[in-house]
Amino acid sequence: GFPVVDDDEQFVRSAAEYPRATVEKAAVAKLKLESFYKDLMGQCIERNQRRKDLENRLLTESGSSEERKQRQLQNLGAKESSFMRLRRTKLSVNDFQTVKVIGRGAFGEVRLVQKRDTGKIFAMKILRKNEMIKKDQLAHVRAERDVLAESDSMWVVQLYFSFQDSRNLYLIMEFLPGGDLMTMLIKYDIFPEDVTRFYMAECVLALEDVHRLGFIHRDIKPDNILIDKDGHIKLSDFGLSTGFHRQHDSSYYQKLLENIHKEHPDESAATTVAGGATPTDAGTGNPSQQPIETLRREITLTLSSKEKLATWKKNRRQLAYSTVGTPDYIAPEIFLQQGYGKACDWWSLGAIMFECLVGYPPFCSENTHETYRKIMHWRESLVFPDDVRLSPDSVHLIRSLLCDQQHRLGRNGAWELKQHPFFSGVDWASLRTHTRPPWIPPLSSITDTSHFPTDEIDQNTSPFDNPVAASTESEPQKDLAFVGYTYKRFDMLTRKNAF
Amino acid sequence: SAAALKNQPPLFLRKNCALAHLVKGSFKGVVQQPKYADLNEWLSINTFEFFNLVNMFYGVVTDFCTINECPTMSAGPGTEYTWTDTQRKTIKLAAPQYIDYVLSQIQTTLDDERMFPTKAGSEFPKDIRATLCVIYRHLFRVLAHIYWSHYVELLNLKIEGHVNSVFAHFISFAKEFDLLDRKDMAPMADLILFYEQQGIIVS
Ligand SMILES: Nc1ncnc2c1ncn2[C@@H]1O[C@H](COP(=O)(O)OP(=O)(O)OP(=O)(O)O)[C@@H](O)[C@H]1O
Repeated sequence: GFPVVDDDEQFVRSAAEYPRATVEKAAVAKLKLESFYKDLMGQCIERNQRRKDLENRLLTESGSSEERKQRQLQNLGAKESSFMRLRRTKLSVNDFQTVKVIGRGAFGEVRLVQKRDTGKIFAMKILRKNEMIKKDQLAHVRAERDVLAESDSMWVVQLYFSFQDSRNLYLIMEFLPGGDLMTMLIKYDIFPEDVTRFYMAECVLALEDVHRLGFIHRDIKPDNILIDKDGHIKLSDFGLSTGFHRQHDSSYYQKLLENIHKEHPDESAATTVAGGATPTDAGTGNPSQQPIETLRREITLTLSSKEKLATWKKNRRQLAYSTVGTPDYIAPEIFLQQGYGKACDWWSLGAIMFECLVGYPPFCSENTHETYRKIMHWRESLVFPDDVRLSPDSVHLIRSLLCDQQHRLGRNGAWELKQHPFFSGVDWASLRTHTRPPWIPPLSSITDTSHFPTDEIDQNTSPFDNPVAASTESEPQKDLAFVGYTYKRFDMLTRKNAF
Repeated sequence: SAAALKNQPPLFLRKNCALAHLVKGSFKGVVQQPKYADLNEWLSINTFEFFNLVNMFYGVVTDFCTINECPTMSAGPGTEYTWTDTQRKTIKLAAPQYIDYVLSQIQTTLDDERMFPTKAGSEFPKDIRATLCVIYRHLFRVLAHIYWSHYVELLNLKIEGHVNSVFAHFISFAKEFDLLDRKDMAPMADLILFYEQQGIIVS
């Protein structure tokens, strides 16, 4: 044999002659392996923790027999074992039966599904890979998976499982049967102040928790505030939220892909240049988004709040389904792209609170462009309509949230909001556990979808119904973006028969 | 190539190459059977993962592992593997063919519900150990071939640290559960010894 030798002779690396596919495969493999070891370590630590927790608990637990303790340890072992088994199990979309399509979003849809073998109910979010690559949403998806997966927050929708096929990504989440705040607002127009107080207070706690976990939501809006079976809220859609993981950074993927291109300029040049040379529509705006009815703007200004509410509601769902999304709740500093912090979520909350009390969000307009403009000029554009009665406390809170980030309430932490007079009387510590929500969704069965706009969603022609070809050639470019996406959660097993 | 010259050590035994790792430290902690958990489940999930990783790395060098470049399934001077067909006849195969056979066979085994049950309540067969030993012997051979015949490609693709980590992890696991014979590991004995000296593989 040969002993390992010290050798100064430098090996000059070069993959310039290699086929581009090989270089891409290597890049994917590296990323996958990094993700693999990150998961492996994480699982190892969590497993040890679960064991230590139980052992310590049994140690301090007096009065229970040795036999009972032994049984509990064996139980933990059985759970760990079935988790290992589950990780070998390949779940696919065929393991779930669609009950109904309950929501549409920019990149996919959300369905109520039933797992075929166990009959358990879940919400399944389907996201189309192609669309996301086109729209540069790679980091977006990554972020959503990570927040949902890593959080143990009772304020965040639980993710149980995720998997993918060549076309789509699938998130299997807990189903929240109460619908979302947007649907409720469409139904009730406005909320009384105490109802608003309840939802806003829960949002304060939810966002505080999300911030504690190191995430900024950035895109909190009524569509993302879901209502559980007891009437409490949970946040979903962490598409835009930015954690502190580098994988969330769009530019991280961009750089990865660019590096590949750089080493292989021959083939990639054409696509790169073509992509970059497309005339940008910055400044002029995408023609399709341009207002056709510029004339209407003058009329908008004179609309009473009732009429404004009516127009807002008429367009609301369409807005939720479009890929541009609604910018109505986004803080001005985000558009400026000069850095922002957690405080941007408090701005969004201010805009949602305004909508709850007034019926439409503070900067709503006929088109997104105008909305951007109004948000940037919030000093002039934030007006409270004369024909809606608001308490001084609520106006003060809204004004303390819809202002520049240096002065915004909450910039030093959620406690600033909690102390605001609008929330006086709120029992923060027991809000979720002991406060009766203003509305508890009446449910006729576990598959009741009456709180979702299922009539408005075409149930027959879902773009996701076409079967996926059994084995499609994998494309490294695509794979790269979705590495580490497949996810299986231990928690679902710890709840009896959850899956 | 360097490996072909009798008196020169292969590239993967150069210190700076061998020391390249994605994961630092010893694998002891991550290969040990978790307390209270079932041994067969632990062996199975790890075997699944090693298979996927080896498959992935072979995929990276597959464009270079051709019938012309690798007419035999070798792992360094003096080591040549032959395939035993269903009639127990040994046949010589080119490396890409051999590896294709091996990996498909493992895939079939892993997908076999009777060997590796996934349904709740179904049990592992009694002879799972023998099955695992065959899988580990074959996975080892694929890794050894990658090291001896495609290391230059790994270096050019800057992926040697990743492969080293998986190799050390794989050997640590196989040693922990006695899934590989000493003589089977001979083609990579020098690297294994080095990793043992470095405390990366701890038996
Ligand atoms: N876990 C869930 N339980 C019940 N309903 C849900 C769940 N997740 C989402 N929905 C419903 O589906 C709708 C769309 O979901 P979501 O906002 O997450 O989709 P999206 O495609 O990410 O949209 P966008 O990115 O434009 O916000 C929600 O408004 C809600 O009504």
